[in-house]
Amino acid sequence: MAISVDPENNETRALFDLADFRGQHVLEIGCGDGRLTWRYAPVAAHIIAIDPKADRIALAGENIPHELRNSVEFHGVSIENFAQSRRSSLFDSVILSWSL
Amino acid sequence: MVHALEEVHRLLKPDGCLIEIHPILVNPLVKVFAGSTALFAGPYPGFDYQEDLRQAENALLQSVQGGLFTLQRSREFDFLTYGSSITELQDFWEEPAESREAELYTQVEEVMQAAGQGVKVALHEKARISKLLPMQS
Repeated sequence: MAISVDPENNETRALFDLADFRGQHVLEIGCGDGRLTWRYAPVAAHIIAIDPKADRIALAGENIPHELRNSVEFHGVSIENFAQSRRSSLFDSVILSWSL
Repeated sequence: MVHALEEVHRLLKPDGCLIEIHPILVNPLVKVFAGSTALFAGPYPGFDYQEDLRQAENALLQSVQGGLFTLQRSREFDFLTYGSSITELQDFWEEPAESREAELYTQVEEVMQAAGQGVKVALHEKARISKLLPMQS
């Protein structure tokens, strides 16, 4: 068997229990290979997902489903470097995913 | 960490929200399952990041006490990662090779061999998800 992460969807259920991403502009920090991103991406308006680990980001970029190519961006960058070039009040939601 | 939370606060719209997810300060368990039955459970030997978790908790606490965010809700959940062998999981975790000599991993392999086919090994973590709202200064 391949590695299976949270097949019970406990994290996804907890996420949707707390937040509604419909039509939202989302920043996900610590997205890794996009494991969590794919769970809420279909309902969000636009997602920028970042992670300083280049290999994980490359994997995420390779696996973007066709229907999400216009609404999900992956960037290999830390929050500090990402924030430097961004103006304030851009996002409806920010997800800090296992990355504090 | 506090600086990262300050940046998050700046990037959020005033009516936005921060969702923060991190493992809680409890030793994860390595478990062997046959179907949904746990045949074995032992504390994960690689649990050496308690200080990182404490710092994350403190940063969040500071962001609330300092008036950056207000905590609206939080809850805990179980988070399991499964593999067909302990080696497969260790590769996934990118654990250093020397950790493979841990006594617990030998026990896991013995239990898996004795149980035969169809068993799987998992890391069982506990995590907390919190919803925080930005406070306006």
